[in-house]
Amino acid sequence: MAGAALRWRLPPGQRLLFEDFDDGILMFDALVGSTHLLSATSAEALALVVDTPGLTGLEIHRRLLDRLALDEAALPFAAVDELLWQLENLNLLAADAA
Amino acid sequence: MTATLAGLAPGEVRRRMAAEGLALRMQPITVRVRSPIRAFAAQIHALYRDYEVLDPRDYADVDVRMLPVPGVRRFARPQVQFVVDGVTPFEGFPLDHALPMFEWGLNWVFVHRMHEYLVLHSSVVERDGRAVLLPAWPGSGKSTLAASLAVRGWRYLSDEFGVIATDSARVVPFVRPAALKNASIGVMRAFAPDSFIGPLFPGTRKGEVAHFSTPAENVRRGGESVDVAAIVFPDFQAGEAATAEPLASSATFLKLAGNAFNYETVGARAFAAVTAIVRRATSHILRYGDLDDAHRALDAIIAQGKEPRA
Repeated sequence: MAGAALRWRLPPGQRLLFEDFDDGILMFDALVGSTHLLSATSAEALALVVDTPGLTGLEIHRRLLDRLALDEAALPFAAVDELLWQLENLNLLAADAA
Repeated sequence: MTATLAGLAPGEVRRRMAAEGLALRMQPITVRVRSPIRAFAAQIHALYRDYEVLDPRDYADVDVRMLPVPGVRRFARPQVQFVVDGVTPFEGFPLDHALPMFEWGLNWVFVHRMHEYLVLHSSVVERDGRAVLLPAWPGSGKSTLAASLAVRGWRYLSDEFGVIATDSARVVPFVRPAALKNASIGVMRAFAPDSFIGPLFPGTRKGEVAHFSTPAENVRRGGESVDVAAIVFPDFQAGEAATAEPLASSATFLKLAGNAFNYETVGARAFAAVTAIVRRATSHILRYGDLDDAHRALDAIIAQGKEPRA
């Protein structure tokens, strides 16, 4: 839970565009110019941060459970935390101390 | 009435190319070409005969010189240089390969400069106001398929580039001779014996090359953009019966974006344009081993396409 209190934002200059197709969600990374095919969980997590910059990992986790109608067993916090760091590694998200 | 290259005498074409330049409208761009090489001038005259001739003193988007390489080696191994706006981006080619070098060089210039457009690696044909993108990398048979469609009544918009206007997501013609390679040359000669195919260039970097000259009507309609109704990824497999496999939207998107020359450069406009095309058009992978079979499969695909936008 070490990263639970970190606050998540888009990196400076980043802009994400989403398109929801019948068979997947595509997202355009305007900083690099690349396009990613996202899982529903990744797309929702990014959309949450776009809508509300500065959410903590725990807040993102709670909102994801609500949006995706899942319980904690299906989507534990550890999975969301790992996902957030994967997105950070792609320079789609940035974390700073609460 | 526009003046076309066919209206100039061979001597006048040679003179202009050796002096002030021959300026041609190759929509959506204008090109001025200069060269003292007589055989190259004759080839340009034949292949671009239906293109509008412009005043060479006017501004041209691209200024190309095809010049013999100077120096002592010019006697043993004469070469030609492609010079664009004063820059020489490539090593020389054999002197008698000036035409393929000009064609490839002009393609290179187009994809490196024309970022007003999203440029896909794709042939494009159209019928009844419905464009079909044939995106593919070399070797898939797209040029042969597009040329064969052009001689069977389809409008031919492009051999190499699907040029997409990012504000409308419509495809803009870039009508140029189709570069047929290796076995495709014989295939097209057998398929359409009356069509004009230029001289054979053996031993180029891509093997044997010859240029198919598109029907004049396609050049005349070079300013007419059109909506994309179908995306068909051609996959030539010798001996295979034609099969058209539908492709899901997101897979189509990623294949199209990955196939573009300048997707990252055009950026968010490219993302929006590909989105609009994918939402509007049907998408298939077309495996075929025979041109007539492929034509029948394309007829069926275009028949089921969505209505073009008003």
